[in-house]
Amino acid sequence: MDHTRDNPLKRFSAFWIAILLATSFGIALIITQPFAPDKTDKAYEMVSEGRLEIKDGIDRAQDDALNEAALAEALQAQAKSFDKNTESKGSMPVPGAAPTPSEKPAE
Amino acid sequence: MAENNSTADSKDVVLRSSIDRSLRHPVMFLFASGALWLVLSIVLGLVASAKKHNPEFLTCFSWLDAGKVDAAHMSAMIYGWGLQAAFGIIIWLMARLSRKECTASGIILWAAHVWNAVVSYGIIRIMMGEGSGVTYMEFPSEVWPLLLVCYTTITIWSLVQFQVRDAGHVYVSQWYLLAGLLWFPWIAVTAWVFVFLMDGHPLMVAGVAGWFKGTLFSLFFLPVALGSAYYLAPKVTGRPVYSYNIALFGFWSLAVFGPWAGMEKLFGAPVPQFLPYAGAASMILILIPAIAVGYNIIKTVIGNSEVIAESPSLRFTAAGVVLFLAFGGLSVLLHTVPALKLTQFTYTGYGFDILGLYGVFSLCAFGAIYFIVPRITRREWLSRRFIKWHFFCSIYGISSVVICAIAGGLSQGQGIEDLSQPFGTMAERASQFSWGVTLAWAFILFANFFFCLHLFLMWARLGRRSSHPTLLDAHHPTSPHGPEGEVDNYSSASA
Amino acid sequence: MTFKAFIIGLLATFGIPWLLLVVVPYSTMRSLGPVEYGKDSEFTGAFVPKRDGRIKEGSRIFGQEGCALCHTQVIRPTYAGNDVHRGEWAGLRKSSSVDEDTRRETIAQDFQQEDVAHIGQTRVGPDLSNFGRRLEHYLKLNKSSRTPEQWALMHLYNPKAVPRYEVPETGAQIITAWKSACPPKSGLFAKVQVNGAGYGNLPVDIEAGMGIKPSDRARALVSYLLSLKKDTLGNPLPDALNFNPKAPKSEE
Repeated sequence: MDHTRDNPLKRFSAFWIAILLATSFGIALIITQPFAPDKTDKAYEMVSEGRLEIKDGIDRAQDDALNEAALAEALQAQAKSFDKNTESKGSMPVPGAAPTPSEKPAE
Repeated sequence: MAENNSTADSKDVVLRSSIDRSLRHPVMFLFASGALWLVLSIVLGLVASAKKHNPEFLTCFSWLDAGKVDAAHMSAMIYGWGLQAAFGIIIWLMARLSRKECTASGIILWAAHVWNAVVSYGIIRIMMGEGSGVTYMEFPSEVWPLLLVCYTTITIWSLVQFQVRDAGHVYVSQWYLLAGLLWFPWIAVTAWVFVFLMDGHPLMVAGVAGWFKGTLFSLFFLPVALGSAYYLAPKVTGRPVYSYNIALFGFWSLAVFGPWAGMEKLFGAPVPQFLPYAGAASMILILIPAIAVGYNIIKTVIGNSEVIAESPSLRFTAAGVVLFLAFGGLSVLLHTVPALKLTQFTYTGYGFDILGLYGVFSLCAFGAIYFIVPRITRREWLSRRFIKWHFFCSIYGISSVVICAIAGGLSQGQGIEDLSQPFGTMAERASQFSWGVTLAWAFILFANFFFCLHLFLMWARLGRRSSHPTLLDAHHPTSPHGPEGEVDNYSSASA
Repeated sequence: MTFKAFIIGLLATFGIPWLLLVVVPYSTMRSLGPVEYGKDSEFTGAFVPKRDGRIKEGSRIFGQEGCALCHTQVIRPTYAGNDVHRGEWAGLRKSSSVDEDTRRETIAQDFQQEDVAHIGQTRVGPDLSNFGRRLEHYLKLNKSSRTPEQWALMHLYNPKAVPRYEVPETGAQIITAWKSACPPKSGLFAKVQVNGAGYGNLPVDIEAGMGIKPSDRARALVSYLLSLKKDTLGNPLPDALNFNPKAPKSEE
């Protein structure tokens, strides 16, 4: 055996040269791909323009319909009874709640 | 002088047998598990083909639904059989040609087990309907990096052995194997990154997957098969390769034309036109390395017809090389624009792929296995009959698959292009030809069942001890294993 | 040949096709611009096939179930094949019930928002580029009691049980006698006990008290199949060859 060609150091370097060669194109991708142009989806943007217009219209209409004064008044009524720790009678029955003594149980 | 020669010779013999001893476990495991996967993949191929003419076949098993079973069939054949057989051949051949013992047998054996586990996982996921959905790369996306790690663990030692080989002439088989070893990670990493990791245009994702499938054959399976053929032809006949220059020319022409293959699967799709045309051109030009290799190897073995008839390894290898010539010729005919127009979406592509994978690669691999296994198990093949069945049923089967698929595909294509015929005409023609394909797979299954059995018996060290190799010579009236009673006289032979 | 020369040769002979066939086309196609509807069409803006949510999931299932093995989704230009003339694969022909010929070739933007374009390997079954359009049209024409979803689910469960339609070159729409060769996809359906009316089960009779229920995968797949309407209803897309008389003529 020719000892100058086959020794542990040569094997070690041969191993890493082999790894480098095998992964060479993978490394090339890692180096180049971040600089490649990003994926663009102009179609999505073009279609979203129409969609955003509709959304704007809805937002504006809802903003106009918002009655801040009436909302504040309703909240005050609720706030008054909060610390009394009793239920304040709402206008709608709570589904599944137990009937109060004045109400008859359902048949 | 004669003394020195015989000492050098006997040293060489000792070196060769120590090389064989060092890698017997991983190589036998790879061949045996590969053979088992081959049988399984052919069974799946039978089911897939049967569903084409009998759609209700085995509908009760949802994991065998059409589409999934086809993907499982090809994946098992490529990754279960093809790559493991290639690994065994590469490891043994590179060790022998570099004249270095294998120092990492244990690691390779472990990695081979992990490879089997990962491929099994992938096939099960495919059959559960949880594959990737990408045609030609059906394994789920996490399987590919695992396969690459196993691949590196199995094959890096061969690359090291080559680099620390003794000074001297490098044989052409070593160039083929070295190239194949480097090409596979290059195409696999690229394909995995572009198909699964990055977010690209769907057409290019399909294109890269097609490129991977095409180059997997032309840049991995073909070099391994040709490297093995270039080793066995001169070795078994005892004559040198006919022309070393033609051998190098054949190698470099494959290196130049091979990497462009694969995109012809996208012919007619709205991709830049030069992509499928480049793929088709590459497949046409593959005739050049086919002629170079075919001419070279046939000229090496010609005139030795008894050796071809007798030696199982040479017979299989020669058949593989002849089929490579047929592959090259067919490739020219099938990849011109009129032929592509006719056959693109027919069974022709499948038949052509199987010709490459089974007819060229697998037959050359069988030749290598029949040569290598006796040397690493130190036993001879048990049954001449099993080998003959393997050979003749394989040849008959592969010819039938190819003829039925290609002729059927042409007929299918004609039916679809002819606008006066309803779609049903084409479909009916297709299902008739698929009967032929199913029958052919049945023959190939028979052949490889016995090959697998034979190989397992050898693995179990039940081969026969003899100084006579098992030859296929039909002329001896006596037993092929030598004169009767020879084994009884063995113990009395002098050292 | 030295090792160094070999490696340089290998890197060069592989690197050039790697760059030219794979890296550069892949990178440039990522920024492929959208195609806009022509001036005379009823739609404006970019052509974007509706492919969100379950439909995108269905596209993935289409690939996983191996449907791309037997069905293609590409209408090739005429130098590469006769697909645009075959039946109504490429769109609906002009007839008493259809105002305009809507057939056109496939363009690159047809596959938007899918993970991978299911070009297809073979044509054991018909091309599916316009399956959704054809199915709705034929069911309406034949006044079928089935909805397109039901037809598609039945086809997946038992292809021979549903009628198949075809329009040959003559243009007369017919129900073909030839039975489907599609193998049933039993994995997408489950046999369940029927409680009540069995809403959502397939209209097949098996044992009493049992029904066939399509799985979520089946439903997603059918959503995808019914979304395959690549003829854009005849609205001209300037980049694609089409038969619409209102389409702008190509300048070349």
